[in-house]
Formats: sequence, structure tokens, C-alpha cells
Amino acid sequence: MVSRRNFLGGAALAAGTVSKVAMAALPEPVIQTSPDTQPPLQPASGRPYNPVVTLNGWTLPWRMNGGVKEFHLVAEPVVREMTPGFKAHLWGYNGQSPGPTIEVVEGDRVRIFVTNKLPEVTSMHWHGQRLPCGMDGVTGLTQAPIAPGKTYVYEFVARRPGTFMYHPHADEMVQMAMGMMGLWITHPKGKHPLIDPVDRDYVFLLNAYDIEPGSATPKIMTMLDFNLWTWNSRVFPGIAPLVARQGEKVRIRVGNLTMTNHPIHLHGHEFMVTGTDGGPVPRSARWPEVTTDVAVGQMRQLDFIADEEGDWAFHCHKSHHTMNAMGHNVPTMIGVDHRQLARKITQLVPDYMVMGERGMHDMTEMEMPLPDNTAAMMTGHGPFGPVGMGGMFSMLKVRKDQKAGDYSDPGWFKHPPGTLAHEWQGPLAEPARPAASAGTPAVEVNIRKPTGAHHGH
Amino acid sequence: MRRLLAFLSLALLGGCAGFSADGGFGPVQLSARTHLDKELRWARSDAERAAIQQRVAELLTRPLDAEAAVQLALLNNRGLQASFHELGISEADFVQAGRLPNPGLSLASLQRGDEHELERGLHLNLARLLALPWAGQLEARRFEQSKQRVALEVLSLAAETRKAWIEAVAAEQARRYAGQVMEAAEAGAELARRMAQVGNFNALQRAREQGFYADAALGLARAEQQQRARRERLTRLLGLWGEQATRLALPERLPELPAQADELPEIERIGMARRLDVQGARLASEALARQLGLSRVTRLVNVLELGLVRNSSNQAPTQRGWELSLELPLFDWGQARVQRAESQYLQALERVAETAINARSELREAYGNYRSAHAIAQHHLQEIVPLRQRIAEENLLRYNGMLIGVFELLADTRAQIASVASAIDAQRDFWLAKADLDQALLGKPGLAQAGAITATPAAADSGGH
Ligand SMILES: [Cu+2]
Repeated sequence: MVSRRNFLGGAALAAGTVSKVAMAALPEPVIQTSPDTQPPLQPASGRPYNPVVTLNGWTLPWRMNGGVKEFHLVAEPVVREMTPGFKAHLWGYNGQSPGPTIEVVEGDRVRIFVTNKLPEVTSMHWHGQRLPCGMDGVTGLTQAPIAPGKTYVYEFVARRPGTFMYHPHADEMVQMAMGMMGLWITHPKGKHPLIDPVDRDYVFLLNAYDIEPGSATPKIMTMLDFNLWTWNSRVFPGIAPLVARQGEKVRIRVGNLTMTNHPIHLHGHEFMVTGTDGGPVPRSARWPEVTTDVAVGQMRQLDFIADEEGDWAFHCHKSHHTMNAMGHNVPTMIGVDHRQLARKITQLVPDYMVMGERGMHDMTEMEMPLPDNTAAMMTGHGPFGPVGMGGMFSMLKVRKDQKAGDYSDPGWFKHPPGTLAHEWQGPLAEPARPAASAGTPAVEVNIRKPTGAHHGH
Repeated sequence: MRRLLAFLSLALLGGCAGFSADGGFGPVQLSARTHLDKELRWARSDAERAAIQQRVAELLTRPLDAEAAVQLALLNNRGLQASFHELGISEADFVQAGRLPNPGLSLASLQRGDEHELERGLHLNLARLLALPWAGQLEARRFEQSKQRVALEVLSLAAETRKAWIEAVAAEQARRYAGQVMEAAEAGAELARRMAQVGNFNALQRAREQGFYADAALGLARAEQQQRARRERLTRLLGLWGEQATRLALPERLPELPAQADELPEIERIGMARRLDVQGARLASEALARQLGLSRVTRLVNVLELGLVRNSSNQAPTQRGWELSLELPLFDWGQARVQRAESQYLQALERVAETAINARSELREAYGNYRSAHAIAQHHLQEIVPLRQRIAEENLLRYNGMLIGVFELLADTRAQIASVASAIDAQRDFWLAKADLDQALLGKPGLAQAGAITATPAAADSGGH
């Protein structure tokens, strides 16, 4: 039995056992190692469609073989740069985690080769697809596991248009915790009554990792206390902005493969949830939102018109999820003046610095040495200084002059005169406070305690 | 009467011995010089005393290293000076034993009526006179033994002082580190108090930090007590009085651990040749032989294999490349024809063998202790302390990243300081083991057994009465 701990060593062994001759009959596996957002892959063969853009990711090319779209996914250990200066040892597909996005058109016959270069068995489940049961990819239940070095082939018709994912159903917990997942988009064949054409179509997966600061491999046993909340295995400032030309219709598709829900929130605009992994939402059932909760194992498709110029925050609304690695047992130092004590501590710990007594914002400014290979808690910088966020955070950048089909970062927004919050220079009125509160100590918390059971009170 | 006087003067000429020029101090002084490379003085006059005091004052002008401490103790320890006087007493006994007993003079005045008779008499203790040569010999040997005993006392005081110095310096270092632990805990406790004050800590969290502080304060108090006790013990051995004691300054730290422990594969052989207790036992058995009138040596016998003399041969191959032997003459008993003499002599040989066996085992033990103490101290210095240092550095990085809080950082700091303190303990144990090893090469290591060395000659002695 191959040890799970045998990370890259086991992978090399598995790779060596894949026969070159057998591989020759398969579509060449395409490998991507850059973590940058790749431009949309315009379909060169097969039915036409309007491609998506995978945030900090890419779309897998295919070959046509007798009218069948053939893809080749290689499950393998990968090194994913989660943010500049921090690389994680994950498992993924074709050089990246998450794996490449697969884009097909409603009615396409699809054949996907899955080669296992992992040190243990795997399988592939096509989340949300209508397909023959034997293609559903649950090891033990619907198929034999794909042994290391082996290639399996899946074949079915993409019957339903919509937003889907792929991920293993083998050694479930480990393989997902290690980053094995990818997106699947089935575009509608021609005009669809419930699926509007859009100008820009962004896709990403929510995932979470627990990587001890200074190490590189996720702790796969962690259930809830993750320290890296990621989009496509990236954390801010490693997440690319979503850009749009003013007035464009934009679609964002989000899938959740973490172990908790994420309220995804967009600033400056309202959107409609126009689809889920179950399919397009009937128009009568849609309502406007600025935050939509994406529960575990769900996908949401948000449509809106990017009609407000600016750099709009776009993030998970759980405040811890917009932080990078941090301690969850660090005491709150707010309001504790310990500057003089610091001198005493400095005698023992020469490089000690006072932190947290005015909150954590100091963290964004003090660039202090951290353990190697660690994403600082908050390190993003904006035009007005450090951005007090990390993790599941990015921006929607809407510009008048952004060219159609141009996905490059337009830089920071230049606010028109009179549209920027600024410091008040006039006199300050003292806020009126109720007179009764003046006498009570500021920090006392009064809790009514049950008195019945006590003696002597 | 005249003839008796003539006999007496003859006897006196034969047995008469005068006081030596050095009072028996010379050999003791020589032993201190050869074994310890130290100067020894006997304060018998005001001039001597002043010279000693001047030397002591001079030694106290700068922090006292181990060698200076030993030198100071050898000059200034009053117990040792008291032992020197034992030489004087012993020599006096010896000289006295060689002198003609004082004649007794009696004067009787008798009156009978008018008759007045004066009777003058001169008495001499004839028995003592007859025993004179024998008693002189006995006291001569006692005097020799005194010299040997004092020489051993010098060596053991030196060893004791060296160990006391090591312990005093180490205790001082430990006290300093306990102070640092206390400071870390103090900072934590104060911080916790302020945390509680503004509502960030509850009573439990605050009490926990306070608890570390209370423990650290206890640790510091214990370290201070230890430091005081160790310093006072050294002060006593150095014989310091009043203002002198306050002038005693010690270096800040123990000497560095040598990179390599000495390899002494021949230590048993070297020790056997050098050890004063082994030599003493041998001399005692030889003296006994002379005393018993044994003279014709028939063969040499290795006392460590004494069994061979009486039992049939046991030719088991030896395990080492070399073996120790300690050979003494075996005599022809025919001359003495005394069962008692044979038993006495063989008893003495057994005593020599016992001394040698113990010495050899002690050498092995001391050497083994020395080697492992070095390995342990080195492990502390090269592994544990750097590792704790590394952990502390990594923890600071984690603190920087808000991955841990200041209390964890302080707790880790306390652990790091504690690792330095244990390294100092290990370093101290090494130097103590080194002192024991040095002592084991000269005599019985450890202080509890110091008196046992003289037991062997004494046992041989008892046969003479
Ligand atoms: Cu979230």
C-alpha cells in the first residue's frame, strides 16, 4: 500500500508506471503552471459558445475525435502559489489546483480520460451532470477505484446547460482537503429562455486549507478551523480582480467546496441569482441581492449590469474569511497599554514589538518577518494604503474605457472630483449621551445571575 | 650508680633524635607543589601570618578563579593550619620518645629526736629506658603517618574548595537566570492585570498568568537561597573573615566546556601508580615486614592475585590488553617462625589489595562520570539550547504574524531561559566530575571517605602492640 505521506515520491513512482504507448492514443495532457488568470479559450472546433474566464485559472483544451470532445485530466501533486511568497503542496489536475475548467456545449458527447499520477487511488465525480450511473465516479459504489498509474475513461452527453464542478469521490476527505477539484461549464446550445447571453463570464471555486504557517502541505484532518480561505486556491492579494467595461452584463459563477457556507457579497451593485447547479432559476423566482450565501456543495450563478464605475470590493462576508493565516487563540489586546512593559519583554525577546493594543490594523502596516512560506494576515495595498483584508477578497473593477474582451487590470480607480470621502475640517459637535450612563464604569459587563440556588445572597 | 649512668648515656646517644628544621612540613609542602602546583605556608610566626594575609589580600583583588580559590584556601583555611600543628605535636612526641626519661629526684627529711636525716634519691624509670629504642621507632612511624595524613588533607581541601567554587559560580549563574524567568513572568502577570482591568481577560486567565509569576518568584527565592548557601560554603573553605568575605568576587560564569573530553585509556594504570592511598598501603605493609623482622624475600607476589599463592592456578584469559599488578615481596616465614607474623603480614597484603581494587574501581567510575558529564553538557549546549533558541525565534515570527499571542511568547521565553539554566547545571556537573577525576588520580575522590586512606597503616600498626 502506498503511504499517503509519501507526497512527491509516490507521485514519481506512479508517473513512471504510465505506459508511453498507452498514452499515445490519448489526447496530450495540457499542463498549466502559471497561477495567473488566462484569457478565455475561444472554441476552435465543435459548437460555438461564449467562453468563461477562470479566476487565476484556465480552460482545458480538447480534441475532436469522431464527433466526440476528448479531454485528458491528469491527477497529480502540484505546487500552487497561493499568493506571491507563499506556495502550497497540493494535489490537483494538469499542474494546478483547482484543475482546468472544462467547457462544453449542451448536447456535446464528451470523453474524458483521467490518469492517476497520485500515490493512491482516485476517481472522478461530475457534480450536477445527468449521466449514466456508471459514469458518476463514486469508488466502490459505481466504479472501481483508479489505481496509481492507471487511466480511466468517462463518456457521456452533457445534457443540461449550467454551472458544475468535478472532484473525486475516493478517499473523500483527503483528496478534497488537498485541493482536487475543478469547474465544469455547459453552455446552452443556441438561445436559451432562462440563460441570457453575457459580456463577461467569471468562474471560481471556494476552497479552504489549513496550512501551518511556515509549512506547505495542508493539514487534511482539520474539519472547521481552517486558516486559509481561498478562491481557486488563491488568497488576496493573490486573487486577480474581476474587470468589466461600464454597462457590460457580467456573470459570476461560484461553487463551494469548503466545509462551511460563504455569504458572497458585491459592493456597488445588485445582482440576481440566475442559476444554481440545479440549472437556471425561473425568472419568477429571482430576487435582487447584494449578498448570496453559497452553501457547502452548492453553486451560484450571479448576473448583473456593471453600471457603476469604480473599484468595488467583492468578498465573503464572514470577517474571518477575509484574513489569511492567523492564530485563533490570540488574546485581544485592545485597550491594553503595554508600551512600558514592552521594554521589559524586549530585554528577554530583543525583537519584540507591541501589537494589537489598538486593534489589528497595525498588522497591515508593520511588515515584520514572518515564518517562511506564510501569507501575511493582511498585506494587500490599495491607492489609500494597506487593505485590511486577505483571504476571500477581490475587487470588481468597472471602467468606462475598458475595452470589450480586455481582462487586464486597469489599475486603481481615479475618483471624479467631489466623489471621494475626505476628512471633515469643520467643528465637531459633542454627541448627546444619556445622563444615567455617566456614573457606571466603562468596562463593566453586568449580567443578571440566577440567585435562587445560592445561599447567603 | 656510675655504671648505670654510663649505660644510660650510651642508650641516649643511640636513640636520641632532635627537632627537624622544617617540623615535617617540607614533604607536605613538596606534595602540594608537585600534585597541585600550589604554595603552602605554615603560620607559625607573626611574620608568616602577615605574609599569608598579604597574599590573601592580593588574591582577593580580582574575581577569584578556581586555581586562585584553591591557593587561597590552602593559605587561609584555619583547619588546615590546625592540622599543620599536628605535625608539630607528632614530631614533639617523636623527639620526646627518643629522650631520656626525666630522672625523679626525691628528698626525704626524717627526724628522730635530735637526729635529722636527709635522704636524697635519684630515680630512673628503668622500663621506659629499656623500651626507648622501640618507642622511638614507633613515634617515628607515627610522625611519618602524620605527614602523610596532612598531605592528604591538603589534597582533599584543594578538591573540596575547587568543587565549592564550581558550585558557587554555577549557583550565581542560576540565580541570574531565575531572575530573568521571573522578569518574563512578571511582565506576563502585569500584562494580564491590565488585560483584566480593561475587560479582555477573565479572572481565570488572569490568575493563570499570576500563577506563573508566583512560581517564578518561588524559583528565584530558591535560587537566591542556593546561591547564598554555596557562596558561604566557599567562604568557609577559604577561611574568610569579616570584611574579607565581602570582598570575595567570583567570575560571572563557569569556564567554557572543553570541546573534547580527555581520552584517558590508561587512567587505571596511571592512577594506580600515583595514588597516595595505594602507595601508603604498600609502604605500611613494607614497614610491617621490617617490624616483624621479615627479611629474606622468597619471591614477589602480585597482591591483586593473592589467591594464586594458596590456590591452584586460575588461568582465565584476561579481557584487556593490559592488566594491573601490584607486587610486594613475599617472605620466607622460617626465620620468624611465628604464625602470628604470617597472618599479620598476609592481612596487610589483603589490605593493600583492597585499597588497590577500590582505587581502580573509583578511577573507572570517576572517568566514566567525567566522560558522560561532558557528553551531557555538550548535548545541552549544542542541541538543546540552540533548539530552544530556534523555537524562540520561530515563535517570535509567529507572534509577528499574530499567529500566537504575547503570553505564549512569554511562556516560550521562560522555557528558553530554563533550557539555558539546565545547560549551566550540566556544565557545573562536568566541572565537578572533572574535579572528582583529578582527585581520583591522587586519592580517594569524594569527601565522605577522606579519612579511610589512613586506616590501612593503622590496621597494620595494631599488630605492633
Ligand atoms: Cu466565507
